[in-house]
Amino acid sequence: MNDVLVIGAGPAGLSAAIAAARQGLSVKIVDEFYRPGGRLLGQLHEEPDGVWWNGLAEAARLDQEARALGVNISCGVSVYDIARCDDRWRISTTEGEWESSLLLIATGASEAAVPVPGWTLPGVMSIGAAQVMTNVQRVRVGKKGVVIGVNILSVAIARELQLAGVHVEQLILPPLSEVSGKAGRPHEIMRSLLRVAHLAPSPVIRLGSKLMGSAWMQRLAVAFFPSKGVRMWDMPIHLRTAALEIVGTSQVEGVRTARVTPEGLPIPGTEQLIPADFVCIAGGLSPLAELAAIAGCPFAYVPALGGHVPLHDEYMKTPLPGLYVAGNITGIESARVAMSQGTVAGLSMAQASGLLADDSLLSQAQLQVKRVRQNATIQFHPDIAAGRELVGQMAAAWTAR
Amino acid sequence: MDAQQVIICRCEEVSLEELLSTAREYQCTARELKLRTRAGMGCCGGRTCRILIEQIVEQATGQVPTHTVSLGYQPPVRPISFQTLGGKSS
Ligand SMILES: Cc1cc2nc3c(=O)[nH]c(=O)nc-3n(C[C@H](O)[C@H](O)[C@H](O)COP(=O)(O)OP(=O)(O)OC[C@H]3O[C@@H](n4cnc5c(N)ncnc54)[C@H](O)[C@@H]3O)c2cc1C
Repeated sequence: MNDVLVIGAGPAGLSAAIAAARQGLSVKIVDEFYRPGGRLLGQLHEEPDGVWWNGLAEAARLDQEARALGVNISCGVSVYDIARCDDRWRISTTEGEWESSLLLIATGASEAAVPVPGWTLPGVMSIGAAQVMTNVQRVRVGKKGVVIGVNILSVAIARELQLAGVHVEQLILPPLSEVSGKAGRPHEIMRSLLRVAHLAPSPVIRLGSKLMGSAWMQRLAVAFFPSKGVRMWDMPIHLRTAALEIVGTSQVEGVRTARVTPEGLPIPGTEQLIPADFVCIAGGLSPLAELAAIAGCPFAYVPALGGHVPLHDEYMKTPLPGLYVAGNITGIESARVAMSQGTVAGLSMAQASGLLADDSLLSQAQLQVKRVRQNATIQFHPDIAAGRELVGQMAAAWTAR
Repeated sequence: MDAQQVIICRCEEVSLEELLSTAREYQCTARELKLRTRAGMGCCGGRTCRILIEQIVEQATGQVPTHTVSLGYQPPVRPISFQTLGGKSS
């Protein structure tokens, strides 16, 4: 029996396993993908300082380090249930059952869909699927595509497609509907893009970030948003164009679009058909916390973190005995944050086993999470720190009961 | 956007229109909406439409999300074979 079981071999799970194994714990990781690395495998982007973030190389480095420390990594294994048995956790997987007294859930995030008429046609995929096909499986998703949904993730992945020689014609908004939320409102998108203005060579967005502290200035910018779109990371972003329908008979043939008002309403007479053979839908990310829910962990609803997250303290420990969480399951952030959280979780588990030689390692690791969060290039939400604070308070209140 | 044309739950083929009109008529919770329409009860376990169902309920009834997860999770959280579940291979 292993001291620690980890579900998920992404940056959080691998970093946790490394930290725990270094302190002498025996660790086993299971992951349902056929190779370790999680979402790192698809990541490729240029930081503002010109250095490239190569997720594939990061994943290989973590994998090697974990294996060198004796961590057992089983890929292609799905966990479908977890339960508490006596004083241990039992995980049920497609390859059998395992038990341990310490369990870390590091299952990452899942993508949210934004339904558009015609979204069930072959050739329509989530933006993350396009990323995996392009950067991991090296399969061409199509010749010419349209991305529906403008957010930091979709812009970054559209650029990866472009780098791989796949043409992205336009990034546009989803049609305004009961299920589009903020994603269908140009001025909301402008607000969120301003936060990543440092990544945009476009003068509209760059200037905007300096001048547009006030809401009315933002509205003005949306009203005058050029109809040709602006470029960000060299991607053609159209904030005043929305998809009406994805068209095609047996496969995607194009997207019917219209110009929209700053509030997102289609302007009559502006309809166009953009020919395309694939469409990516980008609805943002939410924490994948199904296994924590089954374990009976209490939750907090925090929109800044992407939705419902399992309660946990700054040691990444949930209120349930021996159950830890790390990475995007605790809130949507970048891969570096996931790694630093994983290190904290690994050291906490070592401490819980009485094997942590030096307690200052843990407090340093906790400081490191905050440092990495502050310096993150890709910030998924402006209020992450406040959201984290709320979760911590709720966890403390829960434990005090 | 024509809500009749938009499928929300692919497994059970439930449209946006059906979900909206049911939520408006019964002013129900996400769980009740799921039970009335079968949206989210198909073979994938609601992995894609879960969030959409919650959003529809919020729009149609004004119920805001709480700290409790509104649509519960049941094991198995992945589609598995009877053989895996039964644990016997021969
Ligand atoms: C499509 C997409 C693109 C992203 N792009 C970027 C980017 O460009 N830059 C960036 O900084 N961040 C990006 N992110 C955010 C990303 O989530 C983090 O960077 C980071 O990968 C999170 O690490 P993690 O270890 O928490 O989860 P992940 O990296 O998602 O790893 C979780 C692992 O758990 C496994 N798993 C889940 N459930 C089960 C189960 N039941 N049984 C077995 N295994 C399971 C999965 O197979 C996966 O390998 C992206 C996220 C997504 C979804």
